[in-house]
Amino acid sequence: MKVIFQLIIKRIGLSIITLLIVSAVVFFIANLLPGDAAQEMLGQSATPEAVAELREAYGLNDPPMLRYAKWLGGLLSGDAGTSLANARPVSELISSRLSQSLMLAGFTALLAVPFAMVLGIVAAMYSGSRIDKAMNIFTLSMVAVPEFLLATIFVLIFAVELNWLPSLSYIPADAGVYDYFRAFAMPVATLCIVLSAQMARMTRAAVLEQLSQPYVEMALLKGSPLSRAVLRHALPNAVGPIVNAVALSLSYLLGGVVIVEVIFNYPGVASLMVDAVTNRDMPLLQACAMLFCTGYLILVLIADISAIVANPKLRTGG
Amino acid sequence: MTNKLLQAAAMQKVAEQHSGSRRALLKSLGAAGLVTAASGLALPAHVLAQMSNEQPPAKPRYGGRIRVATNSMSTKDTLDPAKASLSTDYVRIYMVYSGLTQFNRELGADPALAETFESEDQQNWQVTLRSGVTFHDGKSLTPQDVVYSLLRHKDPAVTSRAAPIAAQFKEVVVTGPMSLRITLHAPNADLPVMLASSNFCIVADGTTDFSQTANGTGPYRLKEFSAGVRTVGEKNPNFWKPGKPYLDEIELVGIADESSRVNALLSGDIQMALAINPRSTKRVRRSGTADIMQTESSLYTNLIMRQDAYPTNNPDFVLAVKYMMNRELIQRALFRGYATIANDHPVAPSHKYFNHELPQRPYDIDRAKYHLKKAGLTGARVPVFASPAAEGSVDMAALLQLSGIEAGMHFGINRVPADGYWSNHWMKHPLGFGNINPRVSLDELFSLFYKSDAPWNESGWNNPQFDQLLAAARGEGDEAKRKQMYWDMQELISEQCGTSIPVFMNLIDGHDKRIKGNFPIPTGGLMGYSFAEYVWLDA
Amino acid sequence: MNVLKSMPLSGKLGALLVVFWVFIAVFGPWLAPHSASEIVAYDVFEPIGGDYLLGTDYIGRDVFSRILDGTRFTIFIPLLAAALACSAGTLIALFSAVSGPRTDEVISRFMDALISIPSKIFSLVMIAAFGSSVPLLLTITAISYMPGSFRIARALAVNVANMDFVTVARTRGESRLYLAVKEILPNILHPMLADFGLRFVFVVLLLSSLSFLGLGVQPPEADLGSLVRENISGLAEGAPAVIIPAIAIATITIAVNLLIDSLRGGATYAARGK
Repeated sequence: MKVIFQLIIKRIGLSIITLLIVSAVVFFIANLLPGDAAQEMLGQSATPEAVAELREAYGLNDPPMLRYAKWLGGLLSGDAGTSLANARPVSELISSRLSQSLMLAGFTALLAVPFAMVLGIVAAMYSGSRIDKAMNIFTLSMVAVPEFLLATIFVLIFAVELNWLPSLSYIPADAGVYDYFRAFAMPVATLCIVLSAQMARMTRAAVLEQLSQPYVEMALLKGSPLSRAVLRHALPNAVGPIVNAVALSLSYLLGGVVIVEVIFNYPGVASLMVDAVTNRDMPLLQACAMLFCTGYLILVLIADISAIVANPKLRTGG
Repeated sequence: MTNKLLQAAAMQKVAEQHSGSRRALLKSLGAAGLVTAASGLALPAHVLAQMSNEQPPAKPRYGGRIRVATNSMSTKDTLDPAKASLSTDYVRIYMVYSGLTQFNRELGADPALAETFESEDQQNWQVTLRSGVTFHDGKSLTPQDVVYSLLRHKDPAVTSRAAPIAAQFKEVVVTGPMSLRITLHAPNADLPVMLASSNFCIVADGTTDFSQTANGTGPYRLKEFSAGVRTVGEKNPNFWKPGKPYLDEIELVGIADESSRVNALLSGDIQMALAINPRSTKRVRRSGTADIMQTESSLYTNLIMRQDAYPTNNPDFVLAVKYMMNRELIQRALFRGYATIANDHPVAPSHKYFNHELPQRPYDIDRAKYHLKKAGLTGARVPVFASPAAEGSVDMAALLQLSGIEAGMHFGINRVPADGYWSNHWMKHPLGFGNINPRVSLDELFSLFYKSDAPWNESGWNNPQFDQLLAAARGEGDEAKRKQMYWDMQELISEQCGTSIPVFMNLIDGHDKRIKGNFPIPTGGLMGYSFAEYVWLDA
Repeated sequence: MNVLKSMPLSGKLGALLVVFWVFIAVFGPWLAPHSASEIVAYDVFEPIGGDYLLGTDYIGRDVFSRILDGTRFTIFIPLLAAALACSAGTLIALFSAVSGPRTDEVISRFMDALISIPSKIFSLVMIAAFGSSVPLLLTITAISYMPGSFRIARALAVNVANMDFVTVARTRGESRLYLAVKEILPNILHPMLADFGLRFVFVVLLLSSLSFLGLGVQPPEADLGSLVRENISGLAEGAPAVIIPAIAIATITIAVNLLIDSLRGGATYAARGK
């Protein structure tokens, strides 16, 4: 336990370094963008004088390093800044969307992770069999369908034709369990299919890899049943790669779900970040990037701890 | 050989027509500026009810709640009329606010908060306000509110979208308990029309914070606003038009993806949808539950040929490209017939000043070849910039590329993303696309996009004759003379300006069949964005 | 030839499909009966078997010709991008695994930083900055998936590096290069091949996602994902213009993965002596 505790402390320190790298990388990339918030704000009707004045007001005339330092200083004192596009605090904009995103991510993870694990382990146990082949083709074809096509097919069937579910994911203020179910059914289903297919494939590959190791063969030769060999020997050693794949897949649920958010008009943080890019709203863009990075680091931390808990050899090496 | 001779003869004829038009232009200029008659609109309140636009086929029904979707939504959504820049903003602004005037279906303006709007010289305008109008917070409408609302556009800190137009205001002063005077720097007969735009809606005096609240005099009160998510308006029982509005509540959302928007309409999740693609109309009509409404507008996507860059500064190249535009194919294939063929100038056939004697420019590869050769550009490779930001431009560029191959040159297509297009690409390349929203006032349209020193003189066109005509027409009170001037200007643009306008796009909206009371207003989709006060929901 | 013979049926099917699609990718543009950008018909979303083999698209172009023309983007961009991402990711992971903990930590943190930026938004920014072009799409997709490959390779490599035979080799005084290439690489190669197959699929998907956001391959050219996207409004009427490219994408990705699976499957069996 002490090892894990130390690891967490160490990781938090390292995470801060990673966050700093992200902020610098994002700041650098964002500075490649042509145009700025002043131009985007005035759009087609921008005159050079108006743009110049607005630029001054936004502080965009400062050198990039100074702007970066100012923003970082603000962040350290707990102020994520003000959105250039609509003059509201960035923290306020994000917090209202974040809860929505977390809800969508949570429901999806809850369904997709166990589903994918079972699928992957079963496929590995019966590798080469018909079940395995069927699952292989199924997961591959699911992973190969563009998610916008999948989502549109769902909408056409369940909303337009059958009229069972709403085509837009709105949660009314006085929503009950049934309303939540209706609002989330299609977006969650879309994301589950996209994610669990890839998680299942990675799980299968990792378990299969362990099953081919001599120690598992040994156990099997000693007469231990396949399910026991898988659960007792192969799985713990395969946990490292599996949790990594899961962490990667789940981190997708915060920033990568733009398309699902667009199609179901779901107000999440991914579309907020797209807005930030479109409006050249740097404070918001930076804050979203930091948010995604933090979410990812938390997932990775969990993945690493799980790997260490599962594989004693890593405890000393970690 | 014979072919070439024929071509040369055709060219000669074109040249003759051209010089003929020049004489006509001079005539109209000479007569300009002599006659000024009183114009403007002055209508007492009781006439308003009769002349209001709708002829209700059925008795309106009160009550109900609808959800309406436009085609965009972002954190940039605003409650400030001055900052409104996209269709969603326009709808939101017209829901909550009213202007001094409002657009009608005949491409004119009716009085709204202004009871009378008069001028003797088109430069000094007397405005009398309607009495008994209250803001949503209960405050009465006063001339001071109007003065504040109009003059704030001149404050750079407001970052108003209408600042270039507001620059024409010399002075706006209160002249009585319910009256004010607007003095312009120069006469402009179109002021009543220009003030009907959503940017000039009236806010309460002294309002500076628009982040979460909107205090207007419009048909709906703001109930909820969340930028990039939704706007909810509830019925304003004290609306100044008696008996209106009809609905209890309107929820406004933006669905950027067209196919999602249509699906939402067909599944009954929204009751009205802005901007339906021509290809989706069949599906909407077939559904049985929804229908479409078409609005003929003067919205256009044009090919800009910069006059300050090579090779687009060559007049023969410009003409060659204009002959390469396959207008019929664009109208048919790109817009499924939901478009009107245009003649390389920005005035739509439905406009009262449309020059219908100007011959329609055909799709003519032989003439294009002739001009291309004359320009010495046969075989040239020219890049053209297109973007989804300018509707239809990407497909138009692809068609132009095909015509170019036939005419003996190559257009290389550069598609660039919609975001940042207006600031980084528009008017910045020798050959690129623009997209211009309907403007009722030709003066506004020409002053913004075609005058030599216009802020968005798209092609960098410099034509002193055009500028003179424009200035003369602005103060011209004689209708016939004014019309002749606008005719001449259209001809000049069509013949000489570095712009090719293939078609005007019709606006198509979708709506639930239970939605009643809607009719087209050509300034934009969803009844010029002002459907909120007109529609009701039938049982 | 031996490899092909020893393959299971699914592998042979995969190989056949891969050969078919690569053939289309290389020769498709020459085989197309019409120009991919020519409007040939007035009617849009025509069904299969009319005047045009696979019907017409949303503005009346020949779907068959457009697929023949567009396949090369869907084959070559993802193939190159996935190869770049996987090889770079694996190499860096090997280097990281045999280097000291400090180097490993620095590389890992940097990769974490890269990976936490959502790929679609990264692409959005890069394309807004540089304009969409095939080399840029290739670069973006390769960069987007490299850190993911790295993480998986590193997890595998660290696992292997902790195994007894590596420890033995290390105490024997073998060089880092030897450890990485001779001891670790062969043991992580098979899972990385599977990873390559998945990355290939991811790049195909990212490309079609980008086309959804309007950032993909430049028109009038279109990769298969863009074809699906631009014709999506024909889905309700079951237009082949949207269904056929979707099926094409599915068969390409399945074929690549079946082939890779059977290759590593064969290898695994061989290693186990069966």
